[in-house]
Amino acid sequence: MAISMDNKTIEFLKRTFREFYYKNSSKINAPIRMNEREFGYMSFDKVMIRHLSFQTEGELRAFLVKEVPHSVYYSCAYYHEPTLSMDEKGWKGADLIFDIDADSIPTNCKEEHDKWVCKDCNFMGKGKRPENCPKCGSMRIDEENWACSLCLDATKNEAIKLIDFLLEDFGISKDKIKVHFSGSRGYHVTVEESSLEGLDQLARNEISDYISGMGFSLESLGIAKGASYDDMRRSLPSINEPGWRGRIASFFTKLEFEGYDETNKDIRDKILYAYGKMGYKGFEDFTKEIVNKLSANIDVMVTTDIHRIFRLPNTLHGNTGMLKKKCDDLISFSPLIDAVVLSNEPVKLFVDKAPKFALKGNSFGPYNSEKVILPLFASVYLVGKGLAKVIDSD
Amino acid sequence: MKIEFGLEDLAKYPFLKEAGDYVKGLSLSIEDLRQDDYQPALKRAKERVIEAIQKNFISIEILEPNLEILSFPLALMLVKAIGIDYFMHRYSLAESLRAERLLEKEKKSIISNIFKSAFNVNLISTEHDVFDFKMSMIDYLIRATHFHKPEWKLINRIVEKGFVYVKTHELVRLMREEIRRIVYERMKSLSLPKIPENIKEIVDEISKALPPVPSKELQEVTPGMFPPCVMHVLDLLQKGQNVPHYGRFLLTSYFLGIGKSVDEVINIYPKAPDFSERLTRYQVEHIAGMRGGRRRYKVPSCRTLITHGLCFKDEILCDRIKNPLQFGRKPVNFKKKN
Ligand code: SF4
Ligand SMILES: [Zn+2]
Ligand SMILES: [Zn+2]
Repeated sequence: MAISMDNKTIEFLKRTFREFYYKNSSKINAPIRMNEREFGYMSFDKVMIRHLSFQTEGELRAFLVKEVPHSVYYSCAYYHEPTLSMDEKGWKGADLIFDIDADSIPTNCKEEHDKWVCKDCNFMGKGKRPENCPKCGSMRIDEENWACSLCLDATKNEAIKLIDFLLEDFGISKDKIKVHFSGSRGYHVTVEESSLEGLDQLARNEISDYISGMGFSLESLGIAKGASYDDMRRSLPSINEPGWRGRIASFFTKLEFEGYDETNKDIRDKILYAYGKMGYKGFEDFTKEIVNKLSANIDVMVTTDIHRIFRLPNTLHGNTGMLKKKCDDLISFSPLIDAVVLSNEPVKLFVDKAPKFALKGNSFGPYNSEKVILPLFASVYLVGKGLAKVIDSD
Repeated sequence: MKIEFGLEDLAKYPFLKEAGDYVKGLSLSIEDLRQDDYQPALKRAKERVIEAIQKNFISIEILEPNLEILSFPLALMLVKAIGIDYFMHRYSLAESLRAERLLEKEKKSIISNIFKSAFNVNLISTEHDVFDFKMSMIDYLIRATHFHKPEWKLINRIVEKGFVYVKTHELVRLMREEIRRIVYERMKSLSLPKIPENIKEIVDEISKALPPVPSKELQEVTPGMFPPCVMHVLDLLQKGQNVPHYGRFLLTSYFLGIGKSVDEVINIYPKAPDFSERLTRYQVEHIAGMRGGRRRYKVPSCRTLITHGLCFKDEILCDRIKNPLQFGRKPVNFKKKN
């Protein structure tokens, strides 16, 4: 499905990226405490280089223009010696980071725009890839995933839920929370300079379980097998309670149960009513679903990794040509418009196969083995995904 | 802000640095310990050590605060003089359990002061009808991640604006390890002066009363805290005494139950000739469900252990538990106080 990149196409991408970094050099900002962080990058030959460090913003800017990386990363961790090997770096602490990715959020449109193909038998299908090829059982499967505006909206929703946990439950002040569009398929949320910096992997695991709703026990809600209704009623949450208990109680206010008369009753009565109707097992499943709805779908691996490297803000994503961009106002942010930063300059392409897609307010495609002329931003988008190659751009 | 403690408080919690300052204030020299005035404190110190190492327990009665406070550094000196790391661990653990018992019944204001002074943890007293305090999420997480029951998970706590609500007994449980460490470190860093004869005698007396030191292997699998029933069987094993069949079953199923591997469990058993390792392995694997019925045997319940005469219930630590596996992890429930 993907076409391999020829030299001409790689040269085109590098030229485009270099020009962008050259013109926008002043917008590349050093992350705070830059000299305590590790940097790394992936070149357009897909070689990963790590353990770099920069002392000044100027050095970093010069590096981008000179090396023209496909992707640039910086560590969320602070080290004594960022350039040494992992064991010798001397970990001092790390920002608390979250990654929300469209891939892991189920949306109906995936059936339309995502597809996969088995590398061994060429069997293909639409939607999310199966673990194994249903025909030959192979696990070598190529995917082509798109993050359309619906997918990205769903992702944004998860980010909004996440931020609410950070503010309300964890009491992190707003100015310490930075939200970025990742430049491709989701959002990155970073908490910098907070007292959480020193937390180890186990503690971060608890934080990530809290946010993603993992391990919630009915007992913490006040429901216990074999307990009397009176006892349980006293232990159930009220709507204005903080934390998960309060969240679940408020959710119940929006629910309707057949035969339940709301008048003069407390939310606890309603929860108990539901429990009585469903029984322990039924109620347990029901609560799981609620927790699932209220939790934020974050990538647990990212949050618990205290050495993680993360894409550097204000740099280009090599697979899309879009920017990792700060969202000052998340609600009104439109990634497929606001993060598209390359120009409209026309480029001649050969597109293998691409569905209809929208970028910067224009709609493109579908294309099927054809030559087309597209604006630079859309060209890089297709080329970066491996769906097109440049045939002539002077 | 300087925290003030009364003499009674220092007697209850002699690991506090304020208690240390108090003793320093007396400017005693090691030679003074020969004087008759100090014999009661030495006697209490000896009691502390013997109780601690034999029974994992130090009585909480305080007859005379002065004497009690003084007996603590003396006890540390005695244990250090014995010169065996294993007993330093065991002693520290017993001290932390003693503090735990006392803290459970302590006034909220004193608890806050102790946490501030000893652990630099700020507690905020709450009027919540289930919880006594809230503490910062960070202070909570650093400690609670060492516990694996669901009720300790952050998601099962009330978390509000960066604070986690806790009950007194949970708080005390969270700090057990820290008190143990404080006591241990204090002992470790103690430099022994030249010890007068009368104290040497006490050390000798104590040494005679001590249980044998377990093998390296056992110390590795058992650095923590075990329920009294398990401790009892371990002690029998170490002393080379006859262990009833059911006691072996308890030991094996318990250590498998807390996640030890078959090999680790086999190492608990001494390698005496009558304990042919093959037989031990066979039995352990059988209980682990690797042989025969392939069913992993459960740890017997406290009730069953009582009927076998193997229960040595500790009123506080075994409170409300039905199975040795629950030892030291009383379930959190949201039942209201009173
Ligand atoms: S109460 Fe249970 S755990 Fe405690 S000593 Fe008895 S049997 Fe062991
Ligand atoms: Zn196949
Ligand atoms: Zn979509």
